[in-house]
Amino acid sequence: MLTIGLFLAISFLVSLAGLTALIWAVSTDQFSFGQKQARIIFIEGEEGHLDDPTAGGGSRDLERASIDRTTAWPVSLFLGAAVVWLVIGSFFGLIASLKLHLPDWLDENAVLTFGRMRTLHLTMVIYGWLSLGGIGTATWITPRIFHSPLRSPRFATWGAIIWNAGLIAGCVAIATGWTDGEEWLEIPWQIDGLLALGGGLAVVPVLRTAFGRSVDHIYVSGWYFLAALCWFPALFIIANIPGLFVGAEQATVNWWFAHNVLGLWLTPLGLGAAYYFIPKIIGKPVYSYSLSLIGFWALALFYSQVGIHHLIGGPVPTWVVTLSVVQSVMMVVPVLAVAINQHVVVARNLWAFRASLPLRFISLGAMMYTLASVEGSLEALRSINTVTHFTQFTIAHAHLGAYGFASFILFGSIYYMMPRITGRAWPWPGLITVHFWSVLAGFAVYFVALTIGGWLQGEAMLDAGRPFAQSVILLKPYLEARSIGGAVMTLGHILLAVNVAGILARSAADARKGETA
Amino acid sequence: MSEHPLADEAFEPYEPRRPVPLPVYWMAIALALWGAVTLWNDSTAQSSGVGQRLAEAGDMTRRHSAAGADLFAQRCATCHQADGAGVAGAVPPLQGSRFLGANPQLVVQILLHGINGPIAVGGDRFDGHMPAFGSVLDDGQIARLVTHLRATWGNGGEVDAAFVKAQRQATRERHASWNGGADLVSLDPAVGPQPAFLSAPPAPSDSVAMALARGGKAGGWACAACHGAAGEGRSGVPRLAGLPADYIAQALLAFSTGTRASDIMGPIARQLDGPERVGLGRLYATMASASRARPELDGDLARGATLALQGDDRRDVPSCFSCHGPSGFGVAPIVPAIAAQQPAYTAGRLAALGRHGKDDAGAAVMPSVAARLSDADRRAVADYLATLPPSPAIDTDTKDAR
Amino acid sequence: MNRALPLVILAMTILAFATMLLVVVPRAQIGSEPPAAGLRAYSPEELRGRAQYMSLGCVYCHSQQPRTPDQAPDGERGWGRPSVAADYAYDSPHLMGTMRTGPDLLNVGARLPSTAWHLTHLYRPRAIAPWSIMPSYPFLFEIKDHAAPGDTVVWLPREQRVAGKVVVARPEAMALVAYLLSLDRTYPAPASAIRDDGYSRVGGKP
Repeated sequence: MLTIGLFLAISFLVSLAGLTALIWAVSTDQFSFGQKQARIIFIEGEEGHLDDPTAGGGSRDLERASIDRTTAWPVSLFLGAAVVWLVIGSFFGLIASLKLHLPDWLDENAVLTFGRMRTLHLTMVIYGWLSLGGIGTATWITPRIFHSPLRSPRFATWGAIIWNAGLIAGCVAIATGWTDGEEWLEIPWQIDGLLALGGGLAVVPVLRTAFGRSVDHIYVSGWYFLAALCWFPALFIIANIPGLFVGAEQATVNWWFAHNVLGLWLTPLGLGAAYYFIPKIIGKPVYSYSLSLIGFWALALFYSQVGIHHLIGGPVPTWVVTLSVVQSVMMVVPVLAVAINQHVVVARNLWAFRASLPLRFISLGAMMYTLASVEGSLEALRSINTVTHFTQFTIAHAHLGAYGFASFILFGSIYYMMPRITGRAWPWPGLITVHFWSVLAGFAVYFVALTIGGWLQGEAMLDAGRPFAQSVILLKPYLEARSIGGAVMTLGHILLAVNVAGILARSAADARKGETA
Repeated sequence: MSEHPLADEAFEPYEPRRPVPLPVYWMAIALALWGAVTLWNDSTAQSSGVGQRLAEAGDMTRRHSAAGADLFAQRCATCHQADGAGVAGAVPPLQGSRFLGANPQLVVQILLHGINGPIAVGGDRFDGHMPAFGSVLDDGQIARLVTHLRATWGNGGEVDAAFVKAQRQATRERHASWNGGADLVSLDPAVGPQPAFLSAPPAPSDSVAMALARGGKAGGWACAACHGAAGEGRSGVPRLAGLPADYIAQALLAFSTGTRASDIMGPIARQLDGPERVGLGRLYATMASASRARPELDGDLARGATLALQGDDRRDVPSCFSCHGPSGFGVAPIVPAIAAQQPAYTAGRLAALGRHGKDDAGAAVMPSVAARLSDADRRAVADYLATLPPSPAIDTDTKDAR
Repeated sequence: MNRALPLVILAMTILAFATMLLVVVPRAQIGSEPPAAGLRAYSPEELRGRAQYMSLGCVYCHSQQPRTPDQAPDGERGWGRPSVAADYAYDSPHLMGTMRTGPDLLNVGARLPSTAWHLTHLYRPRAIAPWSIMPSYPFLFEIKDHAAPGDTVVWLPREQRVAGKVVVARPEAMALVAYLLSLDRTYPAPASAIRDDGYSRVGGKP
């Protein structure tokens, strides 16, 4: 036990030492990091002006136009596919939600059983919507912050095609009952190769652009993107190697992976986008650029070790659970840094928040990141986890992160990017507002219902005197509310899809006109 | 776009570098401190967790290797008294008993299967039950106990585990207790003249109830599939053998009406009619079977013994045995046997009763007692009861007294 | 922070550090324990049932990891003693689950050992528990006019039967039930066994 205790102490000390060194370096300005570097996202004369393509504002200049041209085709492919997966994935989510309170509905075929609907929903929204959307956004932003055209865009295109092919094959496999059987890793490993290959190809252009950039400084979004794009393939490949782990060992790998998908993949992609779009749309740099360094490195140090809090009270060594609990709480540090940076600049420019719908999506997403992270830190505490573990509370929390944070930011990013990519305005700008309010209202219902229901469910299960049945019975109204919330969210997604289809169709028509002319 | 290059300069609301806000430092320091404390606490929790399990394992080993004298104190002294004098008219004495002087085989057989029926010891006649310890004591324990008994009140001589094992093997087909002294004298005539055993009219062989228990109703689920062929229960499934007939019939009725909620028993009980409920009750009441219960809830057995034997005045909890009969064998017609009951069932039932305020017969006695038991007490008493010998099958006298 | 290569290398080093702590060391520690004495490997039939369990997604509502009495009353619900790492030595993939929309199943074979009960429950959960929200699995069964020899007929409460028809379990259902009945970790765990003891501070004793 001594060696294990030593390990634990060392790992915590290493993280603390890293954090201390970082804070010292930032406070004493070791990196000569200042607001000057934070302005690298602007080109001359942009600062101080609202940049919102959905409202017709902002600028287009030659340098940007030539950069955006290199990303247009692959990014359209990534984003278009992402939106398709979002809509299909939402329907599967809705069906799964309805089945929890209408269990006899659609039960005649194994394909339609709850276990598969739910898994298809998760696989589609994580690996389809959020991953493809995130890669697309990163591919679009990276050349812009480096002021260089995207290198080897064909790799990205092929990456998108192969990833999608792999995902379609994976979904068919899951629907027909062929699964690896671990949460978040259901796609059979024989098919995972396609996703790994697609992801690997998609990373190449971003890395090549980074190494061949024409400005010296790497803007904070770039750190997040570069790290995420290197982290994810490593995670994905290690976790999917078959036959390496069994039993309880496999459970630690499972949750090391599943939580890192959130922490080291979706979170940096979302934060990178927020770090670019919030100051860009408002036209003012983030509050304290040097603070963003702490946010980034502390995220890497702490978030990478939190996964085992999913196994609190389970058959894995105490020390590894405790390590994850402590690091989960330490996550407050990077979250605070990001929150100060992003929220302060928005709070000082509320006019922009009111004026710009993309900013509203992205900034709300950033706020929900703060909320989700703080909630996550609390939820990892043993006393609270005893109640919330195994309940719908966890589902609400997962959606606060993956939907409230990551999806909201992606919505706003798409509304910002697509007009720039296609050179066209959104065909139905009114639908954007409807989309905003429907997903906001729908999600509020979803989150509040499951949070309360999940807590009550957990309390019922902890009371030996109440039969298990009570925990199910009391949950039903909350499950019904979740279906209502989910249906309204799905409606919003359809509106997004309609707008995206419209803008792509018009841009395609433009292209045909250009060819015939 | 901007025509005036200096227009940007005019728009500069911030200083070039912004220091890290103080709350970030405070937060980082506070969290680091908290983290260190948590790590420390949890590392002690781990050693206490492992220590707790090791201590329990040690308890178990100690129980299994307890000396004969300790086993006597735990298992026999309640009835036979610490000095082996017995209770006049109720419990035979061990002092000067011919049974102890006889062949050690006899004592071993009595301990393995118990006695049910009249017996003559030292010229006095006794008529009662002696529990069967065969399913709750292992060969080594019985050997040490017998050795102790013979050294103290008999004519000495050591008995070893191999001997007990052979005895156990020789009578493994026997499921009922020995029928009083009449049976015992046939084992060893040295015990002297014994009263005749008036064989009770054979229990009405209720073939209908037997078919129900083994095959279920109309191809439905059989009682035996979960509760075991001899009604002995299993981890998480209650023991039925030796529960009073009326108690079982009443419970089935309560399940069928929903007064007593059980998702598993509800649908089964609803298929049964009145005579079937009574038949099943009688069937299980007359079943004698070995105990399959073992402590499994990490309960504190010493505390459980205190609760069962003496109760806890501080909490206003009476001794279990004050109502459930000496040795927890139940009191017909409706107070159930609790000895050798499966611990998860006992603890779960106590938790449910404590919460509902009334039991399924509408009485409030048991619920109010159960409500005063802590979680740890429920587990302690449930685990302790699981170590006791099972109640003997209810004899015809009790049945006639209904 | 202006060079991409060091940034990538440092980021990957941090991940490697975390992987060592969360994956490599626990693997070495858990892997050093032999399978629990009393645990047996699954039979081919049980493994077929386990594949059904995975394919139908049972794991999304049922955990297989009872907790300690210091933390939760799992034992009093009859879900079994707290599980330890050595209880899962033959589980690949692991099916510990993270939800208890339904009850824990690690010891369901001990507390519900009746094949007939499970068949009815899988065919029509609400025939047993009206409040249940478990999906029914009619596709694991066949409705026939007469049961052929060797068929296992599913019992249903009187009011749920269809006149003149019988419900017969397909091999998939029989395999799934065989797996469920194999879930029985009621043998004693070794005292030094690995599990999260973070709740044992207060101790289980009064």
